[in-house]
Amino acid sequence: MSTLHVISHSPFGDNRLSSCLRLLGSNDGLLLCGDAVYALQPGSEPLKALEHANLGARLFALEEDLQARGISSDAARAIDYPAFVQLSLDHDKVNSWL
Amino acid sequence: MKFALAVFSPGHAPSSRRALLFAQAALASGHEIVRLFFYQDGVHSASANVVAPQDELDVPAQWRAFVTEHQLDAVVCIAAALRRGVLNAEEAQRYQRPAVNLPAPWELSGLGQLHEAAQTADRLVCFGGD
Repeated sequence: MSTLHVISHSPFGDNRLSSCLRLLGSNDGLLLCGDAVYALQPGSEPLKALEHANLGARLFALEEDLQARGISSDAARAIDYPAFVQLSLDHDKVNSWL
Repeated sequence: MKFALAVFSPGHAPSSRRALLFAQAALASGHEIVRLFFYQDGVHSASANVVAPQDELDVPAQWRAFVTEHQLDAVVCIAAALRRGVLNAEEAQRYQRPAVNLPAPWELSGLGQLHEAAQTADRLVCFGGD
């Protein structure tokens, strides 16, 4: 059983990201979109938390949101909307942190 | 595969546009959308009275065009809609309100429709917040 977690809120405004990382399963994926991509800001505490969580290839970010915010990162795989659709099917369910 | 999408945010929220782009990508990839469910502030996207600033995307209009073009089952939560003043002709008459702002292609119905969609679809994907 795997879950794709989707976060769209900035990691600097609430603790959704840290809560999510705490209960992320070993097969779960994490997709950052909207202001949540600020978690990939180099040198930031959220990025350290993400690196500490050691998600490897299970960390994703929406490409257009990275571009809109001028963020590039090796930590997450940048994906477009067709890949987002496929990603939701690659997991058993999708949990959006509304 | 079958998708059900729930939209919790109004048309001016980035997440509503994200839901629309996801829905377009899902259909373009050959998947089916069994139902779109507009809940909480998402009901504002169904209002015919939303006027977007000229230099911004009119996401409610894009939703309307998308639903119409693909003849999708687009349900607006009736309780969420009534409390936000989003009424079809039937409800406007029932509660004696002066205006109607929920024409076709939208349909007012209850939360049970979201539950049913979640059972029918292979994936339920929710969009809300920022």
